[in-house]
Amino acid sequence: MVAQPVQKVFPLTLKITNLPSSNSSRPWRIPVRIDCYLSHIKMAGLSFDNFQRNQYIASKGVAMPKATSTGTTIVGCKFNGGVVIAADTRATAGPIVADKNCEKLHKLSPKIWCAGAGTAADTEMVTQLIGSNLELHSLYTNREPRVIASLTLLKQHLFKYQGHIGAYLIVAGVDPTGAHLFSIHAHGSTDVGPYQTLGSGSLAAMSVMETQWKENMTKEECIKLCADAIEAGIWNDLGSGSNVDVCVMEVGKDAQLLRNYITPNIREQKAKSYKFKKGTTAILRESIYNLVDVEETEIPVPMEVDA
Amino acid sequence: MSDPSSINGGAAVAMVGKDCVAIACDLRLGNQSLGVANNFEKIFNYDHTFLALTGLASDVTTLSEVFRLKTNLYKMREERSIEPETFANLVSSTLYQKRFGPYFIGPLVAGINSLTGKPFVCGFDLIGCIDYAKDFVVSGTATDQLYGMCESLYEPGLGPDDLFETISQAFLSAVDRDALSGWGAVVYVITKDKVTKRLLKTRQD
Amino acid sequence: MNSIADSFYSNKAEESIDNEFISKKLSLTPSLAMPPISKPTAFLRAHTDDNTNPDCKIKIAHGTTTLAFRFKEGIVVAVDSRATAGNWVASQTVKKVIEINPFLLGTLAGGAADCQYWETWLGTQCRLHELRNKERISVAAASKILANLVYNYKGMGLSMGTMVCGYTKKEGPTIYYVDSDGTRLKGDIFCVGSGQTFAYGVLDSNWHWDLTLEEALELGKRSILAATHRDAYSGGSINLYHVTEQGWKYYGNHDVGTLFWETKAKEGSFNNIVS
Repeated sequence: MVAQPVQKVFPLTLKITNLPSSNSSRPWRIPVRIDCYLSHIKMAGLSFDNFQRNQYIASKGVAMPKATSTGTTIVGCKFNGGVVIAADTRATAGPIVADKNCEKLHKLSPKIWCAGAGTAADTEMVTQLIGSNLELHSLYTNREPRVIASLTLLKQHLFKYQGHIGAYLIVAGVDPTGAHLFSIHAHGSTDVGPYQTLGSGSLAAMSVMETQWKENMTKEECIKLCADAIEAGIWNDLGSGSNVDVCVMEVGKDAQLLRNYITPNIREQKAKSYKFKKGTTAILRESIYNLVDVEETEIPVPMEVDA
Repeated sequence: MSDPSSINGGAAVAMVGKDCVAIACDLRLGNQSLGVANNFEKIFNYDHTFLALTGLASDVTTLSEVFRLKTNLYKMREERSIEPETFANLVSSTLYQKRFGPYFIGPLVAGINSLTGKPFVCGFDLIGCIDYAKDFVVSGTATDQLYGMCESLYEPGLGPDDLFETISQAFLSAVDRDALSGWGAVVYVITKDKVTKRLLKTRQD
Repeated sequence: MNSIADSFYSNKAEESIDNEFISKKLSLTPSLAMPPISKPTAFLRAHTDDNTNPDCKIKIAHGTTTLAFRFKEGIVVAVDSRATAGNWVASQTVKKVIEINPFLLGTLAGGAADCQYWETWLGTQCRLHELRNKERISVAAASKILANLVYNYKGMGLSMGTMVCGYTKKEGPTIYYVDSDGTRLKGDIFCVGSGQTFAYGVLDSNWHWDLTLEEALELGKRSILAATHRDAYSGGSINLYHVTEQGWKYYGNHDVGTLFWETKAKEGSFNNIVS
């Protein structure tokens, strides 16, 4: 019963083992294969089998739960010989700040990065998926991935889902053709330009960009401009907050992620502690489990001796 | 019928301490206002990795079994238990697979990495967006109350005993302000070589 | 004295609502202003009825268990103290018994503000009755003032389920159930609120006419305890009252948090809970 699905996926394993750049001595182990055991998952990718159930529930006038969305400020800006992207670090679920220091800068390839706004899970997952495809493509072609390729991959994927995948992205990076900066909307449309802003704080950020941007900036000027634009979002947009993350991609150099480049919202140290005395909480039962390594030892069986 | 994720009620929280983590959940399973069961644990463990699932009870049970299957297969293939960080990614991709027909749940993962000894907690939304937190994560119908309690009571670097008191008091106070959570609570305190499970004495209204 | 009483009195309750809204006559008698829109009833329901619309912005506090029963030595009134707005526990220390006067109690279930406001208003009406007629109002009359009032507002979003409990010479111990639909019933045993079924369960199986006072107070308390346990929207603490010929007497506030475990240990009951 169990053996069959294993064989089904073996071709996939072999193919990847034979990839040109794979120098691993051990065959690749891919978690995806585990899914093949599950009888209810028939194909890779998204499954729609709860969709009808939930539509039925929704048709009864029931409110659907909210996914974490990144009410966000993200920006990107080109400079002489490179490109910078930046983001705030607040994730919200309705009026609640779900994560005060989340990462909205995603790696598509070592030198192509992407800032995401919209539905948090969608920006994360679409970025991982396209990142994987980009790596496979670069392995297959034996060339560094290009920003325009990642842009095309992303927009075609998003267009296919007609805006239902709520990812709004700023894609930037350097490749053999130079530095590039684009933005993508959830429905699949894309924009090109020397500077971009997206998310609920895009207006605040754009006001900074429109007033401060100039041609032929230095790297330092560009980083400052992007950080200032994000800060405008942090202070003036309620959906954005906490810290500024920056990623610098310079032609001919490794990309540089400046995590928490500015932290203007550090929480004041508490003056007193709320530690409770031991035994404050009333307990009805307690059970302890020890995690120990089980070692197998052979115990010699005594020979049977006649009495 | 109202929001599927608040039909049955329930709450959970996880916290990081010094070389330890704690994870807690309530025991109530209700049908709207009617309390049905008071022994519905929402924390499941896959060896040294702990998973709390709040939300629609049928999805809680379904997913806990799905993850039992997946972690068992992982164990057979890898010949080792799954680590919390790896499991978090497994949860994330499993939930995102149902992006357009999600399970109505709010999972939390807690555990200590057996190789590095590093404490780990994280939370998710219902379609698998991971919330990596360095302090605490919360979920369930008492989410708002839990955020408030944890923000004020939590401090970094607590040992197992202090962490137990902090997580318990934060949890109990939060749950007492939520009509759909409570009816008992369990707290797991996890260290590298020991797991302590405690059943708390709580209000029963 | 009557002239003073008259200055506080008007026939507002009998006037039609439209007239009331239009008339600019200054009066101290309470009346409700209608929202200036075409269908106030539908408007109110759309924005306050969280049962049909969980997303509604105005969440009226409700969810309660209250009970009152007659027995040999008078009336026992017992209520919980939890107020909820949606799933949020807004308070654990609400007073759900309104002491209308030393001989009349009103219980509070449904919209907290509706009950509080109109039962306080009922108190003034009862006082005016005393001043005018030099005689305490009967429970029947008091409950009917309230019933007529809410009937005037029928279908406009008032939400209340109340028991008017009192003792008069001619009536003896009397309980009237009055709700916002306009229902008015006289009876021996009433439980009202989201936890009413649980309270009835205990009360019906243990009630009899010849209960002693101690037994009756215990039964009232135990019935509410059962309800606070099973009903998510009931809880907090229990308030107890006894009504006799001498008026009502308060029998204390009992926190469910501790009472539950005491009761469980004493009776060996609630065996669904591990201890």
